[in-house]
Amino acid sequence: MKTLNLISVLFVGAALTLGLAGCKHGPVTTTPIPGANQPTPPPPPPSSRDNGLPPGAMEPTAPPVVVSTNGQIPFDTTGSNPWAGPLKDGVEDKTTLKADTVYFDFDSSTIKKTEDKKLEDVATYLKGHMADALRVEGNCDERGTEKYNLSLGERRALAVREYLANLGVDSRQVTTVSYGKAKPAVEGHNEAAWSKNRRDDFVLLVPKTP
Amino acid sequence: MKHSIQIILAFVFSCALHAQVPQHIDVDKRGDFTRIIPISISGFTGEADSVLKFDLSVLGLEATSADKADYLISGSQNASLEGRLQPTGSNSAAGNGFAPRVYSGGNTRSQAHAFADDIVKAIRGTPPIFHTKIAFCRKEGPNMELCVSDFDGQGVVQMTHDGTLVATPAWSPGGRHLFYTSWKSGYTQIFEHDTATGKRSVFAAYGGGNFNPSISPDGKKVAMILSKGGSPNLYVCDSDGSNLKQLTFERDEASSPTWSPDSQTICYVVHSGRASLRKISVSGGKPQLLPAGIGGNLTSPDWSPDGRMIIFTSGSGNFTLWITPAAGGEAEQLVAGEDPCWAPNSRTVIFTRQVNHNPVLSLLDVPTKHVKDVGQLSGSCSQPAWAR
Repeated sequence: MKTLNLISVLFVGAALTLGLAGCKHGPVTTTPIPGANQPTPPPPPPSSRDNGLPPGAMEPTAPPVVVSTNGQIPFDTTGSNPWAGPLKDGVEDKTTLKADTVYFDFDSSTIKKTEDKKLEDVATYLKGHMADALRVEGNCDERGTEKYNLSLGERRALAVREYLANLGVDSRQVTTVSYGKAKPAVEGHNEAAWSKNRRDDFVLLVPKTP
Repeated sequence: MKHSIQIILAFVFSCALHAQVPQHIDVDKRGDFTRIIPISISGFTGEADSVLKFDLSVLGLEATSADKADYLISGSQNASLEGRLQPTGSNSAAGNGFAPRVYSGGNTRSQAHAFADDIVKAIRGTPPIFHTKIAFCRKEGPNMELCVSDFDGQGVVQMTHDGTLVATPAWSPGGRHLFYTSWKSGYTQIFEHDTATGKRSVFAAYGGGNFNPSISPDGKKVAMILSKGGSPNLYVCDSDGSNLKQLTFERDEASSPTWSPDSQTICYVVHSGRASLRKISVSGGKPQLLPAGIGGNLTSPDWSPDGRMIIFTSGSGNFTLWITPAAGGEAEQLVAGEDPCWAPNSRTVIFTRQVNHNPVLSLLDVPTKHVKDVGQLSGSCSQPAWAR
């Protein structure tokens, strides 16, 4: 009964307005249909699909920012794509740091103690390969809406970026991307699968050797 | 005109009843918003018949036999469609039937949609939605592509062919431009896509994540989530991308912006321990908690176009849709589902329903809680956005 009341009250005002407007109807006999026979325009041919898209996204324009606020580390350029810089012709390496994939508790972006060793390994590697960049890929299990998981996955990637910076890694070496729940590592609808999907994967961006 | 005056009086009377003694619902048939109303449809065949039945069912008007129906819908179809609406029995006093009308031009589908719009306006009092569009994401192997179709899933056009992920489509008011999150660059960027010309451009590509755009109803502002400052937070800028302003300063994360109809307030989600709904002025300031009176994670809100309600998703896995007054108050549970989006009539909602772990787009008539799947769509479709 409570539900009925809330919904009735919420809707009735709108209906009054519309009902009054509707009273102007006379005995109309013919209704031409505006917009009929106008299907959604087809997508453009492949050659023009990318109109307006610059090849390398936005180039970095601002000087590096090294300010940290409340543990957060701002990104130092307006460009989100390190491939546009010195790594433009680089290659992706998904295997070197594969064993260091970091896992999270449900609905959390806190780095667990069990993951410390992995991140120390990653930090050591990056400090020894200053020309490489790291892409941290944040992922979630399926138990959140897409919009929510996009932000949660990004926060998970950022948590690792902060952690690495605290270990002395230059944060300009580290970029983040969230996939939300779109790229599960394991298919399945139970904790065994979910625990493998709440993760940060590491992809190295390695300059092409001349 | 005499009929019109009677209708006005009936409405004023029913509203007065609601306002003063809402616990005693005793209204005439036209004011009975929360009831599934039986109707009878005769004289139509094939596409016209199926379109009428689908459309009317979406608004909680269910076809039955003539002797049980509150309204008789009859007519015929040739090159044009002719249809009339007759209330039956005691219901005929409502006076909201109409004499035969002729729907010409277009095709059978659009004629039937126009007739259904007239029937819904007469019985439910809500504005037309049967010629509107939706956008959604469709799974293509490991990727997602953006699609647009009629509200009922007919006439699907795939808008992107990037072979990557795409998410969170949002329409500009009027439904010409689509904004969405794209991974085409390898990172999240917000694209603006003109559906009339097919041209698109990068709308936001700041350092860090760029996702979840939402365009203000007046078309002047775009809200979105950026992590350029080190955490995913709510930002707003002008529709040309200029005048970027950070609105929230969460240590954890913000998500899911949705606008009030006057384009002055944004409702969004803050995750701090658990997810809750907040509201903030477009000019910034102190966020306000939107009290919903329930626990759990509250996510993916959508503000109704008439401004009265906010619908959102609750739960972690077993999602349910809830509705709460936009000013805050006790939330009411609707049905199982996630990621709701209002139709322009502020009554119908499109959302995602899990069927055997496969997402299906479905339509909800909020007052009656009647659910109707958009059955024409195949594959895994999610994240619907209704053009309005």
